[in-house]
Amino acid sequence: MAFQHTTGSQSSPGSGIFPVLVYVQGNEQRNIPLDHSPFAVGRKVDKDLVIADPRVSRDHALIVSENGKFSVVDQGSKHGTFVNGERVERRTLERNDRLEFGVRDVAYVIFNPQHATSNTAREFLSQISGMHISTETTDLEKLTLFLEAARKLNTIGVLDEILVTLLDATLKLTRAERGYVFMKTDEGALRLAAGRNSKGEPLLDDTTISHSILDEALKSNSEFVLTDTSQSLDLAGRQSIVAYDLRTVICIPLRKPQVQATRDAQAPPSDPSAEVMGALYVDSRFASRDISSVSNDILRAIATEAASLIENARLVQAEEAGRRYQQELSIAASIQQKLMAVTIPEVPFARLSGKNLSCKEIGGDFYDAVNTEDGLTVVLADVSGKGVSAALLASTLQGMIYSQIIARMPLVEIVAAVNRFFTHKHLGEKYATVIIARVSRDGELEYVNCGHIPPLLVCNNEVIRPTHGNLPVGLLRDATYESDRCSLHPGDRVVMVTDGVTEAENARGDFFENERLEAVAAKNGNLDDIFAAVADFCSGTPLSDDCTVVELVYTGQP
Amino acid sequence: MTLKMETRVVDGVTVVSCQGRIVFGEEGTELRETLKRLLASTRQIVLNLSGVAYIDSGGLGTLVGVYSSARAAGADIKLTGLGQRIRDVLQITKLVTVFEVYDSEAEAIAAFRRGAA
Repeated sequence: MAFQHTTGSQSSPGSGIFPVLVYVQGNEQRNIPLDHSPFAVGRKVDKDLVIADPRVSRDHALIVSENGKFSVVDQGSKHGTFVNGERVERRTLERNDRLEFGVRDVAYVIFNPQHATSNTAREFLSQISGMHISTETTDLEKLTLFLEAARKLNTIGVLDEILVTLLDATLKLTRAERGYVFMKTDEGALRLAAGRNSKGEPLLDDTTISHSILDEALKSNSEFVLTDTSQSLDLAGRQSIVAYDLRTVICIPLRKPQVQATRDAQAPPSDPSAEVMGALYVDSRFASRDISSVSNDILRAIATEAASLIENARLVQAEEAGRRYQQELSIAASIQQKLMAVTIPEVPFARLSGKNLSCKEIGGDFYDAVNTEDGLTVVLADVSGKGVSAALLASTLQGMIYSQIIARMPLVEIVAAVNRFFTHKHLGEKYATVIIARVSRDGELEYVNCGHIPPLLVCNNEVIRPTHGNLPVGLLRDATYESDRCSLHPGDRVVMVTDGVTEAENARGDFFENERLEAVAAKNGNLDDIFAAVADFCSGTPLSDDCTVVELVYTGQP
Repeated sequence: MTLKMETRVVDGVTVVSCQGRIVFGEEGTELRETLKRLLASTRQIVLNLSGVAYIDSGGLGTLVGVYSSARAAGADIKLTGLGQRIRDVLQITKLVTVFEVYDSEAEAIAAFRRGAA
């Protein structure tokens, strides 16, 4: 059994231009670049991979490339073609697939093993744009390959790699010596985004290019500007052209592709320079080749395709940024939920329960409970607004109040400090309504209500709504706060709700209101009864605000 | 957008009549921007809320915000035409002690005239 392959030089895994077939026969192993399609396998000597074994058919199988994927197609071989041990007629190949042709185990082929090439966009592109092209291929056919690469690239969001590949392709097409891509910054200045020479080396310095031609091209309306300094005397005097011996300069402004004519006919005609995203610049020196003969068709095609390529890349980038932002947001949401998680302290003289229904993932309502020597303290707050801003404020508020309760600060001082903090920070119109209530071992209740719905004191099924109240915190700098006190008897309850409960709407636009709340609170039920009453009232109309209910029952001294 | 605003000048006092809901978001922003614009040229504004059925916490924040910045700039905003719901909200939040509230637009305008005299 002999092995030979007839496709040019070998390449080692990792050189990476084409997918690699690793042919293994006994102790021998060779790499064959899969650089054309179809790639023929068989016993006949004209095959790309010749396996001289009687069990291998003359025309055994083909490896074909379609839409960027490779497949193996059996050619009616006698002993069959196998992928990973399974006999196949046709099979799309995945990396590391093991191919066998007639002879099992003695000789096999591994398709493009993982270690052979890295899978970056850059590698992928060079596989396509760098594909070996015969001398008969016209420039436009080459360009078609490039465009193919461009289309495939739309799924890859690595702008820098796209720019470098774009440069390589352009240098190949124009046969220019150096190439640069400039991108317009938000301030409107041009920034060097990528530079390459025809040897594929990066160029980081743009001081030796003709900036005057670059500027001119950007101001012009044309698709590209080709300047042959040997043909134009007035250019020959320009500084960089003289200093760096520039012969031919091609500059292609990259304009945002026109999506659709705007529906608004009143819109003023757009200024062509306003849509310029950047520029593609290539040049050659006198000493090197002449690129002034590059066909206009090619330059025009590059101009159009490069711009839409970059625009697409940017859109993909924006999409990725959006996805990342969403991820960050959900992380923030989970942190907030953990911060807001309440561990209700067990105390012998009181029983506390609370429940929160958020209408959004992260809400502005929260409650908390802290036990100190002064008694059991309950906090219920509702931050104005919704979403992330409300959640941020809620977390800060919760932290401030918690630490001050732990420090056994008087309730009115706590809310005054919070108000000072928030008004001092100029948070715009963000504020919070807060109620902090503390019940001591002997049933003394002290509470400070800052703009919140008055709590319900339920004594013997009778509901009392105290009129005590203060301004919300965070609204007015000079607000002052007072607290209220009363004595609880065993069995007395304090029910506190946020306005999401009283303002829960039904389909007719009616609110749940205080009366319904008082009616359900008066019954000796629990929190779930209140939520059930709200749900019953809304009968399917979704909540527009967070609903939180906290109930404190004084059970008396043991 | 569920808030409409109409501005007219009565006896040298700017009267802004609101119709709709004052809520967090577009409506609140519109109210703030309108009043800000007016405060550049007038120091006396009567905000007639008789067409406002609902104000949420964000809308209330906006109202207090523009009121505070008006006072800081030496101007004043008086309220009139409060429906039961807004009265309740101002009562619960004790903001009724902050704003000057009048039963009728004429009374609010007259209060400005008295102050000016």
